[in-house]
Amino acid sequence: MSSITLENIRKTYGRGGPAAIGDLSMAIGKSEFLCLLGPSGCGKTTTLRMIAGLEHPTGGRILVDGEPIVSVADGVFTVPEKRNMGLVFQNYALWPHMTIRENVAFGLKLRKTPAAERDATVERVMTKLGIARYAARYPAELSGGQQQRVALARMLALNPSVILLDEPLSNLDAKLRLEMRAELKRIHAEAGSTIVFVTHDQWEAMTLATTIAVMSEGELQQVGTPDDIYERPANRFVAEFVGSLPINIVERGEAQSGPLHGWVDRLLAHFAIDGTQVASAGIRPEAVRLADLDEAAAARCAAGRGTIVDIVPTGGSWIVELDVDGSRFFAIATENPRKAAGETTHFWVERQHLHLFDRDRNRIAL
Amino acid sequence: MTLQIPLPEDRSRPEPASPWRRVSYLMRVNSADPTLLLGLALLAVFAYLILAPVLLLLADAVTVHFADTARTRQELGAFTLYYLNRVLLSPIARDLFWWPLANTAIISAGAIAIAFLVGGPIGWLLARTDLIGKKWLSTALLVPYMLPSWTFALAWLTLFKNRTTGGLPGWMETFGVTPPDWLAYGALPIALILALHYAPFVILLFGNALKQFDTQLEDSARSLGASPLDVAHKIILPLMLPSLISAATLIFAKCLGDFGVAYVLGVPVGFDVLATSLFRAISTSQTGASAVLAGVIVLLGTFSILIDMRLLKEAKRFVTIGSKGAMVRATSLGKWQTPAFLWALAVFTFSAGIPLVALALTTVMRVPGAFSLDNFTLNYWIGTELGTTALRQGILLTGEFWLALWNTVWMVGLAALGAGVLGLLVGYAVVRSPVRFVSVALRQVTFLPYLVPGIAFAAAYLSMFAVPRPPLPALYGTPVILVLAILADQMPFASRAGIASMMQLGREPEEAGQIVGAGWLRRMRSIVLPIQRGALVSAILLPFISGIKGLSLVVVLAVPGTDLLTTYAIRLVDYGYSQAANAVVLMLCVVAFTGTMLVQKIGRANLSDGMGSK
Repeated sequence: MSSITLENIRKTYGRGGPAAIGDLSMAIGKSEFLCLLGPSGCGKTTTLRMIAGLEHPTGGRILVDGEPIVSVADGVFTVPEKRNMGLVFQNYALWPHMTIRENVAFGLKLRKTPAAERDATVERVMTKLGIARYAARYPAELSGGQQQRVALARMLALNPSVILLDEPLSNLDAKLRLEMRAELKRIHAEAGSTIVFVTHDQWEAMTLATTIAVMSEGELQQVGTPDDIYERPANRFVAEFVGSLPINIVERGEAQSGPLHGWVDRLLAHFAIDGTQVASAGIRPEAVRLADLDEAAAARCAAGRGTIVDIVPTGGSWIVELDVDGSRFFAIATENPRKAAGETTHFWVERQHLHLFDRDRNRIAL
Repeated sequence: MTLQIPLPEDRSRPEPASPWRRVSYLMRVNSADPTLLLGLALLAVFAYLILAPVLLLLADAVTVHFADTARTRQELGAFTLYYLNRVLLSPIARDLFWWPLANTAIISAGAIAIAFLVGGPIGWLLARTDLIGKKWLSTALLVPYMLPSWTFALAWLTLFKNRTTGGLPGWMETFGVTPPDWLAYGALPIALILALHYAPFVILLFGNALKQFDTQLEDSARSLGASPLDVAHKIILPLMLPSLISAATLIFAKCLGDFGVAYVLGVPVGFDVLATSLFRAISTSQTGASAVLAGVIVLLGTFSILIDMRLLKEAKRFVTIGSKGAMVRATSLGKWQTPAFLWALAVFTFSAGIPLVALALTTVMRVPGAFSLDNFTLNYWIGTELGTTALRQGILLTGEFWLALWNTVWMVGLAALGAGVLGLLVGYAVVRSPVRFVSVALRQVTFLPYLVPGIAFAAAYLSMFAVPRPPLPALYGTPVILVLAILADQMPFASRAGIASMMQLGREPEEAGQIVGAGWLRRMRSIVLPIQRGALVSAILLPFISGIKGLSLVVVLAVPGTDLLTTYAIRLVDYGYSQAANAVVLMLCVVAFTGTMLVQKIGRANLSDGMGSK
């Protein structure tokens, strides 16, 4: 277990090319389980590969336990084979010409570990991950989930101080994802390793990580616990990127003067919030409450009114699409709304579920 | 668990690194990965082995050589147009250049025309019909290409040789018919043999294009009211044109450099082509003139290949459009089934069956073509006291034969091994090089021999290595020059194969090795090479086969001590020992044919992949 610090990391491809990573600084604590989350092309995989040493930054420093392994200004670069980090590739990158046992044992062989100790370690790791009975097979003979376990075993056999994972659950089906998630959590809990993984899948990020770092276009947007990220998004990007159904955004620009705009104004007044800085508001579909209210009750919670366009059952919850005088608004009902398209309903939201953003799209704290 | 925060203090942006620090940083980064160094080293090697000989050859054409200092009244090594003038304009230019050029044009045109007449229909039969025995025929019809082209010239001579030239009579003569000269020698048989030898180009290229051709395109034209003739004319022909022209230019390039056929069938009656004219210029030490001739061949070869590459690019564009949801429907031959099959069989019989049988029979007959029992003998294989002047025993008892066989195996084998391994390394460097210039240059330099027909490449090697070229001493007469020339000559195919297989490999397996702590050498040894084992095997075997049957390249470079099977056979032809020559050729065919079959069995490689290699 090691701490990792990135200082002013920059990465450009080609001479004078656009920056893949602008100026990234971040500290990853010992035994942290950190997720780099972002859409494809945001620089998260590049960051992971720079930590592993497979890419080199064009500027800045990377420190492990305070010791620089990369420092462009000082001409320091530790080659990847000397970093003692474990990396599991997205497509696993198992060596097709080696058996499973040979795959797992290869790193130990390089380290000239005595044969008895090596065999014991390989056996232990393979048993732990449930792949011991495939030891003599070749990777091509294994299913995707089994291959991933082999990739994990190959990495764990070396007991690396830092574990790096590239989209660790992306190629698995739903059941395997749950199993593998539990597996990774267990590895983290048992070994206390520092784990960094990248994903574009927020479910993966939310369910695995202790800390999430959201990236976009080579810049860090927000770092925090999964709850922080979800409940207190630092800006519009984070708010819109996180959430299984996209957050409802109501712009409060001059051009926007639709019915939702009016409803948001009413909400701000209702909650006694100074709305002068507020450029837009976000409400997560799952925070929207739906019911038919009498006039007094509607006024009491500053409810709006909309027509149901469609109700989509998703098993246990219902996605309700509302039309509010021409604008679309989504809600998730946890109880069957027992309504049909064309009927109307009230909708409202509680104060803590209202996200407000200023002109620079940053969060306005309430 | 520490909750971490982005470093708040922005340390006022680190000062830009000093230039030498930056260099030391980049050196450290690249110390993990010597790919660039490897690329540069390979570039140096091939600049020396390929680029330098070709450039020297071209320079030889315009600089004064020692023997001509008096004639040109110029200093040794000065710039001169003397050789260009001599080859292109002087009174002897007609015999040295213009007639051979015209003859080359005639036999190439003839070969292309005949190859199309024979190969086109067969390509279609194999690609688009339900012809019986398709599988067997598609291998059998490629046999002529697996064997050296001049083998068939020897077979032709065996059958049609007349009293114009000395030595044993041909079969026809023995039967009592004297074939006229135009049938026995010269343009007609040369064109015919080259055509049959290179018809597989048409069969494969045209057939493959037809296979990719979407029947729906035909159908939609028909449904719009086009007549079958319109369809053939306006839809199929334009789409097939690239493959047809590609086959034509390839055949042209091959005919240009093909030395053996014209040497066997043309030279005895004074029928010269560019390749044989160049050979004569080289063997009479006219360095300047031979450089000019070789330069012309290189120019023509380059020109035709460039046309071909251009067309292939176009063809690729066509294929992307046509290949979506392509449907290929086999035409039912119905009552034409038997005639079609018989015709394909006839082509096989004439292009491979009869020549090989004739060659084989010759080696066991005292007088060619006399089918009486007492005329048959195994003496030419295993006999002693044959009563001839030089070769007094059967070929299998002759030391020179075994030496030539051994030379072939070890020299071509070594060259092929080198080409295969270097090809894979070139592939690695081209695909992984961080500097684009290195990969582009490497790709092009290793492709260069493809543009230089064998005999011209050999001339280039003479220019380069007849004198010491540091770090190497003068190499003419040594096996080294043969090994290097064959290796360099096979690089286009070997590097293509290497690049293709490295492209498929991807970076990850190697990066995974890096992560677990394997250095570069270890990664090459334990990961990259083992994964590429199959590709490596075919990258060695295919050049081996193609190198074994090659004559044009080695005929100039081999001396009696370094004879290969091919040059040894040609030497026997020169002495008039037909039976022995044919026996050697037969052995060569056996080796080449088994080799090809072996490669196809091992898989991954097939003949059409290897077609690019000479």
